[in-house]
Amino acid sequence: MRKTTIPIGPQHPLLKEPLSFTLEAVGETIVSASLRIGYVHRGIERLSQERNYAQNVHLFERVCGICSHAHTTCFCQAVETLLGVEIPARGAHIRLIMCELERIHSHLLWLGVLAESIGFTTVFMYAWRDREIILDVMEALSGGRVSHAANVIGGARVDISAEQAHDVEQKLADFATRLPMFEELLTRDRSFRARTQGLGVMTEAMVHEMGIVGPAARASGCTLDMRLQAPYGAYPSYDLTVITESAGDVWSRSQVRLLEMQQSLALCRQAMRNLPEGPPSVRVPRRVPAGEVVARIEAPRGELVYYVQSDGSETPARVKVRTPTLPTLMALVQLLPGVETADVAAVIAGADLCIACADR
Amino acid sequence: MGILTALFQLFMFPGVLFLVVAALLASWLDRKMVALWQARVGPPWYQPFADLIKLLAKEDVMPAGGSTALGAALPIFSLACTLAASLYIPVFGQAVGSFPGDLVVVLFLLSLPSLGQFLAGWLNPSVYGVIGGNRSLLQYFAYEVPLLMGMIAPGVLSKSLTIDILTTVQHPWRWHLFMLPVGFAISLLGLIGKLKRVPFDIPNAKSEIGAGPLTDYSGRKLALWQLTVALQTLVGLHLLVDIYLGGLSPARAGWGVPVFALKTLMLLAVLSLVQVLFARLRIDQLSTIGWRLLVPLGLAQLLFSIWI
Repeated sequence: MRKTTIPIGPQHPLLKEPLSFTLEAVGETIVSASLRIGYVHRGIERLSQERNYAQNVHLFERVCGICSHAHTTCFCQAVETLLGVEIPARGAHIRLIMCELERIHSHLLWLGVLAESIGFTTVFMYAWRDREIILDVMEALSGGRVSHAANVIGGARVDISAEQAHDVEQKLADFATRLPMFEELLTRDRSFRARTQGLGVMTEAMVHEMGIVGPAARASGCTLDMRLQAPYGAYPSYDLTVITESAGDVWSRSQVRLLEMQQSLALCRQAMRNLPEGPPSVRVPRRVPAGEVVARIEAPRGELVYYVQSDGSETPARVKVRTPTLPTLMALVQLLPGVETADVAAVIAGADLCIACADR
Repeated sequence: MGILTALFQLFMFPGVLFLVVAALLASWLDRKMVALWQARVGPPWYQPFADLIKLLAKEDVMPAGGSTALGAALPIFSLACTLAASLYIPVFGQAVGSFPGDLVVVLFLLSLPSLGQFLAGWLNPSVYGVIGGNRSLLQYFAYEVPLLMGMIAPGVLSKSLTIDILTTVQHPWRWHLFMLPVGFAISLLGLIGKLKRVPFDIPNAKSEIGAGPLTDYSGRKLALWQLTVALQTLVGLHLLVDIYLGGLSPARAGWGVPVFALKTLMLLAVLSLVQVLFARLRIDQLSTIGWRLLVPLGLAQLLFSIWI
């Protein structure tokens, strides 16, 4: 049979960010896939070498519009390690709260995008409506919905007053009442399951081979969570469990994310109540001692790695960012052949890509 | 009955003008209901009119490599088929024309726009159009057969294939819905398949293949396609009301019109609710439902109406 070439991107209704898949299909089945990335490359790593460390926090915030706080947290953690600074407990808790809020809103965003890609617009609307609550909380805490600028090197820029904590607690309690609907929907709805179960299966071997991280790895049965394996910040003071599923398909990934939302919400509320006294941040020197360091945190999409090299000046000599999306992109090229054209959308959307992160 | 009356019936009521206005209003109601159920605000009542006028005024581009003449003829042809079918479907008890066996002709005319979409997709140079066109045709076979069975079953039961007669035999409370509930359900599902609505919006799945067969259409031709879909929705609902829900009945003097309108609106609400409640199926899932579930059910319903 003749091969048909189907372009997905760089501009396509399915994609929220530019990237380009060229798929070849025989009939309704994809036989080969090739990928082109780099459409939103902004040269951020190079730019960071021309700015001082304090400015770079704001630069790395702009790597990504969804997990902006994860990027600054990881960068700050790297620099703090080089400086040998221990951040105050209050600052660490505020960082944790923002990280977990970000995880919830990122997972809800993913759910909306997936639902829309399988034509389930109602779920898309509901997920993004309830995501607004979390964005409101983040705005109330930091002043920004997307770029929060909540981190500085040495702790958190923002502090949480008792009054704010009370408001946030109320909003989170409201949000907690919305989650059972999504639970019911993701576990029970037949048309959702019919479109996601058994689709885009990543085996555990594949996860190890390609270095896949985050919820995608956990949905395949890997117990990979930086919050537990390499505890950082305030995480060691809380009880966490790794949430895993075994099937490795799009549906399992939705289950993992659903449970993680519940866990993150509980963690957030617990941290809000246990907020230690003290200053949120400490002052740090402008110059960073020479040396190199690798910092790892659990971003919403998985392990985020920052490598920072300092030559003792005010600007970093080299910063290298390794985002969780990159291995997922490589995996997609392997996952797409064999899939029906109708399922391409669900497989790509189900991979939770963040192109801005991957391209930088 | 003079020529003026005939012209009035053809072009004003219950002909073209009334149908177009009513269809656009129905499409607004549909969008508004879906929006409210999805916790959105939804468009103002004049939005479908504004969309239509805007599209009619826009530049009309046909891509190089497509067939211009046929590409222009297809939307006009599809619109004409839908309007021609509407002539034989009583609205508020009035049809422009009626002849023995017109149900079969109406079902045939209503099925042609789907074929038009298949051809439109196939003519386009865009690969999304080709895939969308293929899916239209596959979907055509999956929904059209059950739809025919569901629509013919009342005819077999009441021993007539004339819409007018089928409507009047149900008076006052002998609705075909009560006797053939399965046939009604199959017809409704078939109609959803014909209108390419969720969960059967496979040929124009936005996140997969853009606008499907209509990807390369713009301006006036796209406006005509959209008008065809709006008209198909209303005409299909009218046909269901006439055949299954008793048309005007039960109506005391003066109540026929609101009762008919109410039945149509309730069916529209069902379509909107289905749109809200489901995700899109895959084409193979639709074929499975169509051939393994709907066709045997339709056959059973037909046999039932023969024996009864």
